[in-house]
Amino acid sequence: MIPDYLESLARELDFDRSLSRCVREEVEDHLWEAVAAEPSGNTRQAQQRVIANFGDARAIAAQFAVVSLAQRTRRAGIAAVLVIAGDLVAMKARVAWYAAARWDISDGMRALRGLVILIDRYAFWMSVIIGLGALAYILSREIPAAFCPAFRRQLRCFSLLCSATAAALVVSVISDGVLTALQLQGMEPSVEIWVAIFTMAVEIACVGILLVHIRSMTLRAASTAALVKT
Amino acid sequence: MLKGHLDMIVLAALAAAGSAHGYAVIEEIKRRSGGAFDLPEGTIYPALHRLEQAGMLRSTWTTADSGRRRRVYTLTRTGTRALVERRAVWKQFSDAIGGLLGGNRPRETPA
Repeated sequence: MIPDYLESLARELDFDRSLSRCVREEVEDHLWEAVAAEPSGNTRQAQQRVIANFGDARAIAAQFAVVSLAQRTRRAGIAAVLVIAGDLVAMKARVAWYAAARWDISDGMRALRGLVILIDRYAFWMSVIIGLGALAYILSREIPAAFCPAFRRQLRCFSLLCSATAAALVVSVISDGVLTALQLQGMEPSVEIWVAIFTMAVEIACVGILLVHIRSMTLRAASTAALVKT
Repeated sequence: MLKGHLDMIVLAALAAAGSAHGYAVIEEIKRRSGGAFDLPEGTIYPALHRLEQAGMLRSTWTTADSGRRRRVYTLTRTGTRALVERRAVWKQFSDAIGGLLGGNRPRETPA
């Protein structure tokens, strides 16, 4: 009976494999210890009683799902800030490389470059401000015990902030892509060019990581809502 | 009522028991409350995980005498502070209710 119960609990928690494994071990220890403490010993009735005292597997999984979702939102907030930092490092490295290689842009493109730099700067600093705001917001909230309306509101607000951060960062990376294209225009393929391309790839990867975090948070929120509803 | 105070109950049980695994926390709650709190035992575990995530508890895995892996929780400094705060709020609340029901005037707090 206990193995079946543990199996169903682990199945309910399948959305988070490591949590599922760790909860299964923890609960297994609890249930066998409780059975050992039963006056009737390890009988079918004792196992039944212990499982009944422990509670419905789905209801307990729903409570774990809320804790796991809260953890995921915090991770997404931290990821947003780290991704912005990674983006900044890649951007600065590319600019330093241009300076070291004494690469300059053609006169005809200077006006366009000035405009794109302006967009890039505003978009990037907007992502910094919103990203830090999102992290501060989520870290200042208590981890809820249930998927209550207050937590749903908190999630909506945080998702909005994360999406705004990602959108601003996407604009910044696109602007960087345009600037890099202007810079590399007409140049012969060489090892030096790959440095600029590599730093652009890092920036794109950073945005990709943030989008993956936002998506996984949204999916987890949906699965938690479904688990709580049933 | 009990659900709203679950965190305080778990923190208090852990403060009394020192380091303890989930089963021992539940036993401590039952023992100290005289069996008054009859909540599904499984609800303690999400609470323990939540409190750990909030930095109020720390956990380590050990091996029990039975050979099974066991997760043991300990209060952190943040947890101890949180418990002190919650105890104070509870005391204030309990004094106020005591005053209302029993006619004892709650102690006035200095201005």
